Amino acid sequence: MHETILAADTAVARPPRGHYPNSDLWLDEQIWGHRIYPQTPWLLFLECLTVAEYFLRKGALLDEQGSYYPLVFYPLRRMHLRNILWNNDLIKSLENEKLDSNTSWKTWLEWMSEHAQNLHENDFSYLKPRFEKFSDFAFLVGMLRDASVEGESNKRWTSRFVFPFGASAIYEDATLDGKRDYINFTRTGELLYLMLCRSSVANELRPHLAQFLRGDNEWNKLLRVLEKTQEENGTERKSSYLPYKKHPCFDRLAEDWLRLFELGLPNFDVLNHMVTMGALHVLLYQLHVAAAWSNKQEPLTLLCEVVAPKKTLVRELSIINFQENNSLSGEAIQAYLTRISESTEWQEALALATQQDQYSRCREILLQEVWWNDQDYNGGEDPATLVEFLRDKAQSRHQQHAGEVHRSFGRLIGLVSRRATNKFRYAPTDSFLKTLIFANVRQRMELKEFFNLLFERYGLVFSEREAAQVIAEDEYDPKPFAANAARLEARLSSLGLLRRLSDGCAYIINPHGLE
Amino acid sequence: MIQPERLPVSKDAAYRNKDLALNWIRFVRKYGPIPANDSAFEEHTGKAANRAGVSPITFLHPRFAEVLQCLTGQEILSVILTGTAGDGKTHLCGKIWTELRGDPTAWASNNPYIYLVLPSGAKLHVIRDLSAWVPQQGAEWNEPERDLLELFSRCLFESTGTDYFLIAANDGQLIETWRRLPDSLSVNKARRHFEQMLVEDLESLPDVALRFFNLSRGSSAELFDCAVEAFLEHPGWQYCFAGESGESVAFGPLSPIRRNFELLQSTQLRQRLRDLLELCDYNDLHIPIREILALLVNAVLGHPTCNKDHLMVPGDVARLIKEGSLARASIYNNLIGGNLRESRRESIGVFNYLDRFRLGHETTNRIDSILIFGEADDALREYYDAYLGNDEFYGADASYRQAQSNYVEAADEDGSNSKFLDMLIAQRRALFFKIPASEAEELHLWELTVFRFAGEYLEKVVRNLCPPAQGRVERAIVNRLVRGLNRVIVGMLITDDRKLFLGTSLQSTGAKVSRIYEDAISVQASRGEKVEIVWNGNKPALLVTLNEHISESFTLNLVRYEFLSRVAEGALPSSFSKECYEDVLSFKSRLLTALKKRRQQDGDQLDNTLTFQRLRLDESGRPENLTIQLTVPA
Repeated sequence: MHETILAADTAVARPPRGHYPNSDLWLDEQIWGHRIYPQTPWLLFLECLTVAEYFLRKGALLDEQGSYYPLVFYPLRRMHLRNILWNNDLIKSLENEKLDSNTSWKTWLEWMSEHAQNLHENDFSYLKPRFEKFSDFAFLVGMLRDASVEGESNKRWTSRFVFPFGASAIYEDATLDGKRDYINFTRTGELLYLMLCRSSVANELRPHLAQFLRGDNEWNKLLRVLEKTQEENGTERKSSYLPYKKHPCFDRLAEDWLRLFELGLPNFDVLNHMVTMGALHVLLYQLHVAAAWSNKQEPLTLLCEVVAPKKTLVRELSIINFQENNSLSGEAIQAYLTRISESTEWQEALALATQQDQYSRCREILLQEVWWNDQDYNGGEDPATLVEFLRDKAQSRHQQHAGEVHRSFGRLIGLVSRRATNKFRYAPTDSFLKTLIFANVRQRMELKEFFNLLFERYGLVFSEREAAQVIAEDEYDPKPFAANAARLEARLSSLGLLRRLSDGCAYIINPHGLE
Repeated sequence: MIQPERLPVSKDAAYRNKDLALNWIRFVRKYGPIPANDSAFEEHTGKAANRAGVSPITFLHPRFAEVLQCLTGQEILSVILTGTAGDGKTHLCGKIWTELRGDPTAWASNNPYIYLVLPSGAKLHVIRDLSAWVPQQGAEWNEPERDLLELFSRCLFESTGTDYFLIAANDGQLIETWRRLPDSLSVNKARRHFEQMLVEDLESLPDVALRFFNLSRGSSAELFDCAVEAFLEHPGWQYCFAGESGESVAFGPLSPIRRNFELLQSTQLRQRLRDLLELCDYNDLHIPIREILALLVNAVLGHPTCNKDHLMVPGDVARLIKEGSLARASIYNNLIGGNLRESRRESIGVFNYLDRFRLGHETTNRIDSILIFGEADDALREYYDAYLGNDEFYGADASYRQAQSNYVEAADEDGSNSKFLDMLIAQRRALFFKIPASEAEELHLWELTVFRFAGEYLEKVVRNLCPPAQGRVERAIVNRLVRGLNRVIVGMLITDDRKLFLGTSLQSTGAKVSRIYEDAISVQASRGEKVEIVWNGNKPALLVTLNEHISESFTLNLVRYEFLSRVAEGALPSSFSKECYEDVLSFKSRLLTALKKRRQQDGDQLDNTLTFQRLRLDESGRPENLTIQLTVPA
């Protein structure tokens, strides 16, 4: 694995430094991309869709057209729609006041012309002829507002998002004065889009994604009714960078999305599962790449506890396993720096005559390799101290952002939990398990086979068979893992996702499975 | 009822009979609820029977004739007998072997693979225990085993006319074995077919020369009929209850063993027990033959304070009489494992399943009034006498009366009541078996279980629909289930039951409340739509027809039936069963997909009008849908 990812022919050339004038360190970015940051899974998904929506408009969905960098696109802002949906407290009270329709319109339009923001002209009068009654308009807006994504966590009206019924619901995040902000849309969604482009099944996935975005449903059409006119073009966005041309994680991500689409779930049910899978694969991508950079030989595993009423061996091992995985990305950062300090270039620098020469050459190397200009360094002119300083700096920078991805994504998709303990571990929720089944079981699958598949594909370990392959013999005890598997079985069966035949034989059932 | 015969017997014969009686009881206890999870139960009981000088309890498996027909009929088919431990696979294999004149010494050998030559001249390969035949987990395949199974796989798809198979295997082992076999076209194909037959409960597939008997899918109630007959008719009991032995303390008129044996012959008790087992069938809880026998042995011999296994031996009876603890041997309590420790009860399928009815723990005010105040209340006295007063054995004995009067007179919160509460549990259980069908409705018999609608389910649904019956289910029941469905699907307290309402919320079809109206399906047949209860395979199902070509069905096992009925009567969906709730939501999802299909068939609207239907309830809970229409600007 190590060799394949880091091989020259899969690496995407490093972008010119001039494209990132504000960057004072280029390290996590070179390992995982620009950028991998924590963000909620839904926002990750929506951000990915802002890119997809643009390329659908331009007829190049999931197609990088041979160039891996830069990714230039123009996301829409839909400020009329957003003012109606999110910057509009009056509408609810007007609906309750039961005024006649004309009066309500008049009051509302006046209020809007005063309060709407980030528009050239606060004119919403185009809406009135499009609806029969104000109450119809108010009801439908109310429905859309109820369907907001991550409604609880985003207070700022410019950072509230409507459920993605189709392309008309897609717009980028903004600050209150309408500027691009990277708090909610952290760019990881753009990486997600690039991963899909570079997957082996991009061609198969394209028509499904396009059909979803076209949004041939009344809600997506309603969103168009609420817009004044079609927005021409957005503002230029560029400079996302994904350092690998291919990766098994990209393939698995796109395959999972493809299979979810193929299930043909009713209404918008598929989206929740895509959101979960999207975040899961970004998480796994980070871990796999980290393991490769830090030269780990053993396969990546995630020991999952199916929550038991009391402490079990599985829980203990899962806690340790979580901590090990959680520190992987930090180890990759250190390994990256070790590579530099062990490089021939660096060694040659150390062989220079004077310490000053050595120091100044090493500075140059660091500037060139990780774009660090050491302005914040105030130690002595010693390469070893310099690199130690950088190690600490890089580690703490990493911990604040990319280092949070594993835990944060894991928790939000329901893979990681602290339930019944004070330590994090892998303890999947029902809805996470459901997503795994929907993406992997086309109709039915024998339980043991399913366990094996989860292990091979995602590194997830539930039952004693897989545990035996990854746990050292002296620590391994099959019983707690067998009990763990039995608990999973009982849970799946209570969700209607498993059918037990008799002793030792059970089938996972996908109730929406293909005939 | 078997009457003890009074035969003139010699003294020697009397001693012999006494020994035989003791031997029989000792032997029959081996069928009891003791932890014996060995796969060779059949062989072991055979040997034990020989030693005891009695014959084992046997009866012809209900499917014997069909299996035989496959192997002797015009067109011979290979047979797989599958099922869980204790289903009688080996036993059935043995009967077939004997019937086909297989060599008895070959059968008596330990070899899991034996064969015989059929009348047609073809060879019948019999693998009577697949798990003993295939190599251990992790070990390599031996050539003969592998070749034979590969031959079998091939024979399924291209008949040679020379080799047929009879294979007995647990379903898990079957799949596992074919997974471990080296890949080949026919092996993979065979495995896929086994899987399909197992999961979809099929007995045959087109173009596959195989009959697949999953003994775990048979009716436990039917097995019970055979087993109880064979159990009661066994001559072993004659040694106990006939002649002099029948006058001994152990087997005489005061003996709980005898009393239980006699009660087990009562048609009403048997029918009620059979109802419970049949309901287990309809809940997909299968009870193998071995456990049915354990249930019967426990019913007759159970007593919570006797021996390690909580089963009486004849020598216990005198002590029990002296202690005055005969009532604790009550068959009514034993039938649901009341004599066993909780952990044991949970570990044995049949008792675990019967325990889920919560007999003894569920009750009504009326029942408890009869039990507690019946003796002193003129209006209830009649019932009290019939069910408690007149039952000298397990009814209101001296200790019951004492505890009852203490209970009635004691101050609240008095800890000493717990003994009486335990007695109440036992008496409620007894009542469940004692109340005759004619009074079942009046006394709300099934409210003594958690499944209040179980009686209705059996009488008015199952027995009306299960072939050969061709009846219909009354409208009121269909309407009630539809109301239950409506409440789960829409998430509001709908009172309407003439239409099945389909609603959605914006984001997910699984959302608790649906505020968007999608459509409503008429329950009564109208323009191709209807909702009815039909027989589907081995269970009733609610069939929702959207048009001639589109329909969806929802299998009504007992739990789902109870769930929908209770929700219809006002229970909150989430308070009853998460499993059922999920099941209904997934049914809703299928209905919405079906609706989408119908809309496509009807032709999509292509004009520029957008239509939204808002779903809400009026004050009396009737749904109304307000239509909002608007035009999409060009």
